[in-house]
Amino acid sequence: MAGTLQRQPTVTPARRLGWRAGAVVTALAITTLFLALSGRDPRLLADLVVRSTVGSRFGLEDLALFLTPLLLTGAAVTVTGRIGVWNIGAEGQFYAGAIGATAVGLFLPGPSWLVLPLMAASGIACGMGWILVPALARAYAGVNEIITTLLLNFVAGLLTTYLAVGPWHDRVTGALASTGRLPVRIPEIWGVVHWGFPIALAIVLALAWLTTRTRWGYQITIGGANEQAARYAGIPVRARILGVMLLSGGLAALAGMFEVAGTVHRLQGGLANNFGYFGIVVAVLARGSCLNVLPAALLMAFILNAGIVLQTQQLTSSAVLAITGLVLFMIAIADELAHYRPVTVRPTTTRPATGAEARP
Amino acid sequence: MTDLRHTQPDAPPPVAPGTPPILQLQGICKYFPGVIANQDVSLDIAPGEIHALLGENGAGKSTLMNVVTGIYQPDGGEIILDGYGQSFAAPQDAIRAGIGMVHQHFKLVPAFTVAENIHLGWRETPFRASAKTLEARTRALSDRFGFSVRPDAIVADLSAGEQQRVEILRVLARQARLLILDEPTAVLTPAETRDLFRALRAFRAQGNAVILISHKLDEVIDISDRISILRAGRNVGTYRTADCTAAGLATIMVGREIVRRDLRARTPGAAPIATTPVLSLRGATCRDPRGVETLRDVTLNLHGGEILGIAGVAGNGQRELTQVLTGMMPLSAGNILLDGTQAPLADPAAFARAGIGHIPEDRLRSGLAPSLDITDNMALREYDRPPIGRHGLYDRSAAGRLAQTIVEAAEVRVPDLATPIRNLSGGNQQRLVARREIRIASRVLVAAYPSRGLDIGAIATVLRYLTELRDQGVAVVLVSEDLEELLNVADRIGVLFHGRLMATIDAATADMETIGLLMGGRPAPSGSAHSGGQA
Repeated sequence: MAGTLQRQPTVTPARRLGWRAGAVVTALAITTLFLALSGRDPRLLADLVVRSTVGSRFGLEDLALFLTPLLLTGAAVTVTGRIGVWNIGAEGQFYAGAIGATAVGLFLPGPSWLVLPLMAASGIACGMGWILVPALARAYAGVNEIITTLLLNFVAGLLTTYLAVGPWHDRVTGALASTGRLPVRIPEIWGVVHWGFPIALAIVLALAWLTTRTRWGYQITIGGANEQAARYAGIPVRARILGVMLLSGGLAALAGMFEVAGTVHRLQGGLANNFGYFGIVVAVLARGSCLNVLPAALLMAFILNAGIVLQTQQLTSSAVLAITGLVLFMIAIADELAHYRPVTVRPTTTRPATGAEARP
Repeated sequence: MTDLRHTQPDAPPPVAPGTPPILQLQGICKYFPGVIANQDVSLDIAPGEIHALLGENGAGKSTLMNVVTGIYQPDGGEIILDGYGQSFAAPQDAIRAGIGMVHQHFKLVPAFTVAENIHLGWRETPFRASAKTLEARTRALSDRFGFSVRPDAIVADLSAGEQQRVEILRVLARQARLLILDEPTAVLTPAETRDLFRALRAFRAQGNAVILISHKLDEVIDISDRISILRAGRNVGTYRTADCTAAGLATIMVGREIVRRDLRARTPGAAPIATTPVLSLRGATCRDPRGVETLRDVTLNLHGGEILGIAGVAGNGQRELTQVLTGMMPLSAGNILLDGTQAPLADPAAFARAGIGHIPEDRLRSGLAPSLDITDNMALREYDRPPIGRHGLYDRSAAGRLAQTIVEAAEVRVPDLATPIRNLSGGNQQRLVARREIRIASRVLVAAYPSRGLDIGAIATVLRYLTELRDQGVAVVLVSEDLEELLNVADRIGVLFHGRLMATIDAATADMETIGLLMGGRPAPSGSAHSGGQA
């Protein structure tokens, strides 16, 4: 009798990590295979990807620039996940934050030590405002937040484009579809990497502490694990859902503010670059732990950065999405497979056992 | 009943000498990391018998049945079917071999009709499966096996008893010759139980066999032919039911003599019943979202040092009463007084801080967060006070120490405090919840069905918790559907009917008949009760 597989209820972190590493390697191997089949030299491409991501200073700077918004949007989706809510609208809140920040940056002249915090505050307020209605609807009327937050993304994206080519359009230099360059910028600390990067890192670490080591974090964990038990313990679940969703909106908006004030320096359509949606990917990979957002965002940033490099080699941008999807798909499979362990079925005798002598 | 069995037409059929058992287990062993679930279990099930499997929670009954039905593979021993060695790699193999199991938690699709559920995943389901064909086939099966079901009904609309019939019929339709029932009567009314037993006897009369897992000794003695008792994973004996008594079985099952003391007796030095009530309801009325009154004009007083039992058929306001008393549900009318002053309305955290503990009716759904570990679950009531909750923080190591204390007090063996609590058995979960609530219950403990689903040993433990708390001067409310338990433990018994507190009677002088009448909504005969809920 052959062995068979049995599903275990819990998986050790080391075991899961091992399977995930295997999944990423498999996904990359499949990608390599397809690249080779389409007539490209995988070794050359791999060399190029490594050199332009982790293998050079420019690559590392780019990686950090990708990492900054991903850390924040990933954290934004992760914190809501802890209370059992899916914020699919990080993309929209990202735009709202960028709009709020740009409004202050463009129309409020002043020294940057004053204007930058004001931009951040205005951006965060706009992001919170963007999620306020879905949050209220979810907390007090049970309206599914996935739909409401998702649909508002398109509104925010179009509003950004409208502002960039309409009322806030840069008429001085005649730039195609953006506002003028913002007079203030987040100072750089290392090449093109600005202060947003360490701040985002610090925020993620603070959130990790907040969600696991504070009373508020405990209430959210219970509320997310079993809402009924939370009510039984007198935890104000609705207020917590509202609070967490506002926090989430604020985080995604801060990512938008960093992007507009630190990297792009102007408001333009498509600014969010799908960072909000990639935040969902990061959150799925992080499995509800804010600390896990760090490696998950790093992996995502690496894939995005590698994608840019591949595009210079005549691969379409859709290929990047396909690779992302493949990695996620493989990790989802690995997470499930990690539960299974082989067990051997002892071979049993096929000879008639006791009592069979009487059989006709 | 038992002595009549052999004169009934559905008595066990005569079995030819030398007929092999339908199922024979030889030295079955099953180990989990750190736990011996089954050790050297041998058992045989003859055709035409109802074989009861008794054992405390965690004695290894479920594991053994999971081995028999192919969910687990044994680590040692043999499964012999009709005289031939078998090994089941998957549950489908066991089903094909004629072994069918009806689980305690039904595995039906609630949104499907009865006919669809019966035909789901069945080889013999016709390719063109119109609703009409399926319903006709279901009706035929229902007639053939004597389990009446409504083929076109949606499963979600059925009562637990009806759902169970569907589940059994589904198993029988797949030509099961050995039917395994896990706690089948736990969800049934007495009338439904009688119907089930009648059908099981008919099934036996055709030369089939039944394995019945149960905690209820009286039922086991009523229905079974032989009884096997598991204790700590081993089969400690198989007995002919005719030779057994309930007390004898209980002793073997627990492995020690159960002392059935009058639990109303106070230990020396116990707190007397307080003269002023600690918690009172005055004309308490609740309405559900549809405006229906679920609790009507209930007035009662809870005194420290006394146990108030609440009797009644489930669904007559017990849930609402426990939720009102623990601050989970606001009142539509009336007052709730804590130490004579108006209690904060519908604030369970404030009630907990005031020393009111609550063992909820459905511990997994409302008392625990199943996916979280033992530590987080044990901190649920004390996370907001020192030493765990200082300055808005959550001190995990302090929570771990609290969890350790509770686990030790509950005498529960756990592998590790980081284990998700859903991996513990129901009995252990209940002990932990009880201990957690007792810790905060400095004034009142509201316990809703604390012994539901537990075995005799665990029930005795939980009831002992309650009487100890009473002796410390805490007011205890015990909601139960087991009248014997109420009569043994409670000092006064209140009876709920349609949300109304029919009467509160002295348990020492109460008799089953009076309570039965009150539960049915009829006023008690004068003299044995104070009327009108003037507690």
